[in-house]
Amino acid sequence: MSEFYINWTTQVRKGVLELAILNTLSGGPLYGYDIVRRLGDVDSLVITEGTVYPILSRLKNEEHIESYIEESSAGPPRKYYRLTPRGREELRRMNQHWEQLHNALGALRKERKR
Amino acid sequence: MIEMTPEAQTRFERYLTRMRSALRGSAVEAADVEQNVREHVDVALASTAAPIGIDRLDEVLEQLGPPERWLPEDEQPWWKRVASRMSSGPEDWRLAYTTFGAFALGLFLLPVGFGLVFLICAFLLARAEHELLTARGESLGARRWLVLPAIWTMLLGVAMLLLVAPVMALASIGLSDGNLQFVHGVPHTQPETLERVRIETGYIAACAGAWWLVFSILLVFLAKPLRTMFLPVTENLGRKHALLLALIGAMVGAIGAVLLFAIP
Repeated sequence: MSEFYINWTTQVRKGVLELAILNTLSGGPLYGYDIVRRLGDVDSLVITEGTVYPILSRLKNEEHIESYIEESSAGPPRKYYRLTPRGREELRRMNQHWEQLHNALGALRKERKR
Repeated sequence: MIEMTPEAQTRFERYLTRMRSALRGSAVEAADVEQNVREHVDVALASTAAPIGIDRLDEVLEQLGPPERWLPEDEQPWWKRVASRMSSGPEDWRLAYTTFGAFALGLFLLPVGFGLVFLICAFLLARAEHELLTARGESLGARRWLVLPAIWTMLLGVAMLLLVAPVMALASIGLSDGNLQFVHGVPHTQPETLERVRIETGYIAACAGAWWLVFSILLVFLAKPLRTMFLPVTENLGRKHALLLALIGAMVGAIGAVLLFAIP
């Protein structure tokens, strides 16, 4: 793999990580470790796990997500994250934009094939 | 909180220190991230038998990755961006050479007065170089000859300021006109006799001993910030050094007391 390709995929991954985190939370509240695990399962994201935590903190500061503490039967209380109404709205727009981008790129590829 | 071996606990605390340092100056709340990382490690190691050893902890920390790489470059504080650019020159030696240049200029200009400004700049550049190399998982290697003199010099200056300056201040108060009479009834006007040298030496030694004893207690609390400030030179600074200083203080203080009171 060329260095150009590696740099490009790194930039793309960085760009979509926030979208991936917000989408992970769209199904319901999750605690930090669980979010990291789920993102880790997406092969093409290939993240170092710690990268997620500063993004969670930033999304919380920007009021896209909120946290609350919940008792756990398996150990100490855990900090759960969930989408705020603002975050849900932002996620809707981001997914819409992603869809447009995907379709536009798809159309460009089809044109090239003709 | 899971139980770790002392080595693993130390490794974890250092990782968290690096994390706080990496996030300093950014829009991210370090305390918030720290809480998440602690929880992450707790959950990841929940099924491992306590106490958790350093090898098992390292596996988890390796997956978390170096905190210095958690923030994209545009979210890092300006000084880290500048240092990063300066270090990416030929063979990554540019920042090390700049550090040594500022250090040499600082020494050269010290008699003029503003050499201190360059020495402080050299110290900051040296620390930045060390932090960047740590973030990349590299060691200073031969660059230490260019980088470490600036850190050693600043450390020496701060050590003098903390250990010697208060003693000199105490000594000057005690030995100024008339004050020594309160200690041993020897007026300042008395000519240089062996008796006066004994009492003045004893007084200075007693002051030094007392201050170093007090400072050794302070050092227990100051060890962490001092260690962080002068890395990598002070990497192992800790309680044993405070204890050593207390012992030296007690010995010097005892010599002072003997000179002052035990010898007639």
